[in-house]
Amino acid sequence: MSAVPRTHAVLRLIAFAVAASCALSAFGGELKPWSGGATPPLALRDLQGREHRLADYSGKVVLLNFWATWCEPCREEMPAMQRLADKLAGKPFAVIAVDFGEGAPRIQEFLKKLPVRFTVLLDRDTSAANAWRVKVLPTSLVIGPDRRIRYSVIGDLEWDSPAVEEAIRKLLPPG
Amino acid sequence: MDRRSFLKAGALVPATAMPKLAFAQSEFNPRQAEKWRMFEVTTRVEILVPGGTTRVWLPIPSVDSGYQKTIDNAWSGNAQVAKLVYDGKYGAGMLYAEWPDSVNAPAIELYSRFATRDRAVDFASRPASVEKLSAGEREFYTEPTEHMPTDGIVKKTAQDITIGASTDYQKAKAIYEWIVENTFRDPKTRGCGVGDIKTMLETGNLGGKCADLNALYVGLARASGLPARDVYGVRVAKSQFGYRSLGAGTANITRAQHCRAEVYLAGFGWVPVDPADVRKVVLEERAQPTTLSDPVVQAVRPKLFGAWEMNWLAFNTANDIALPNAQSGKLTFFMYPQAETAAGRVDSLDPDNFKYTMTAKEISA
Repeated sequence: MSAVPRTHAVLRLIAFAVAASCALSAFGGELKPWSGGATPPLALRDLQGREHRLADYSGKVVLLNFWATWCEPCREEMPAMQRLADKLAGKPFAVIAVDFGEGAPRIQEFLKKLPVRFTVLLDRDTSAANAWRVKVLPTSLVIGPDRRIRYSVIGDLEWDSPAVEEAIRKLLPPG
Repeated sequence: MDRRSFLKAGALVPATAMPKLAFAQSEFNPRQAEKWRMFEVTTRVEILVPGGTTRVWLPIPSVDSGYQKTIDNAWSGNAQVAKLVYDGKYGAGMLYAEWPDSVNAPAIELYSRFATRDRAVDFASRPASVEKLSAGEREFYTEPTEHMPTDGIVKKTAQDITIGASTDYQKAKAIYEWIVENTFRDPKTRGCGVGDIKTMLETGNLGGKCADLNALYVGLARASGLPARDVYGVRVAKSQFGYRSLGAGTANITRAQHCRAEVYLAGFGWVPVDPADVRKVVLEERAQPTTLSDPVVQAVRPKLFGAWEMNWLAFNTANDIALPNAQSGKLTFFMYPQAETAAGRVDSLDPDNFKYTMTAKEISA
């Protein structure tokens, strides 16, 4: 019972890596223009129990980010998200971070170690993540002031980089 | 043994002191064992924030086989309803408990006794008799599940992995080796899959919390036409081979859940595999992550295809399970305590706030 010949195994691995890297670049770590259809609804509660609806943010650019405390790349991009929010303070821009499936106590303990000032919502039964077809954490959607999704990002992103900030600024309503 | 007799059995005979294992590993070599080891796992649940009707589901040992036998389950607590129930599709058993709104401090403790013995397949010789799979069982263990599709990229990857393999053994081994090799690639995009093996393959994130490598094994095996299944459970004791990463370091096993996999091979029956544990040795056996070429890894890699050390309790093989009387949706798998209150499902991955603790001890017959 011999193993598959080594040469073939190596070639297959290389071929897979090439194919996988193409697939990966299609996913992101970059802002990808949205072509995925209509914007799903969103209505979730924050850690204080207040309900937030996406409709309440009409007129603003929204960075909607799905994350979890156990997701390392999610944790690592949060400071950049906060820096972006700080740079755009006073502008019609909001960051909404939707936690995937976790309870309030765990999220609160996490936020004590990594405090953020943007809105955190709880998607306890992951129904919102399902509605938004989230399969990877983090997944982010950039939504325009007209509530149409403009960009999606699969994986973490350097949110306060000049290129990303510029793309977000271009979506802001005038005035 | 009925519940009262079990609880009245008095103090359990304590385990004889286990020989102290040095942290240096001995040869990792689980062998097909004759002698059974007996264990008891205690799960204690206290719902810290009840509300409305509180419900709890605790997995019990539900795999009776040549390597594990259930001895008994008993419980104590202040539940209004407490009974053993079984899922109809997989036979996954659980203690179901329910409390009305009037109970301020719902609590329950489950004691599960079972016996295990190491299992190992000798691929050099065919066993005299092998468990047969019916056509229905073969279909059951090759079909896709909600989080384990077997088409698209899963099928394509399986085909690529098994090209040139002509026997079930060769296919199963090729998939095993591929997972062991490929989980160490650095992904271009950093993200964590939420349980769908298709997404795991698409993102290339095959490590840590982000992936269930044994589910990936099962999915690829099924896509290759090999019956395969995940087996969900919890580590209950140290490894007798001295591998820290392959055992429960203390009696507290609250966070020691682990799932393994089996693949059905013609001529050998159900074969135990655990490529995820090979990766665990790479990441955690040394003070710093090591590589596949490290002797401690090389010692386990071939053995974890075909053998399991049974310092581990198998709960069940259930996928996409709907818990009886649950208001929430299906679970991808069931190896953690589960609970619901009027506020919805309690976070089963947060034992400190759920709250639950699990402990294990080995007992003498």
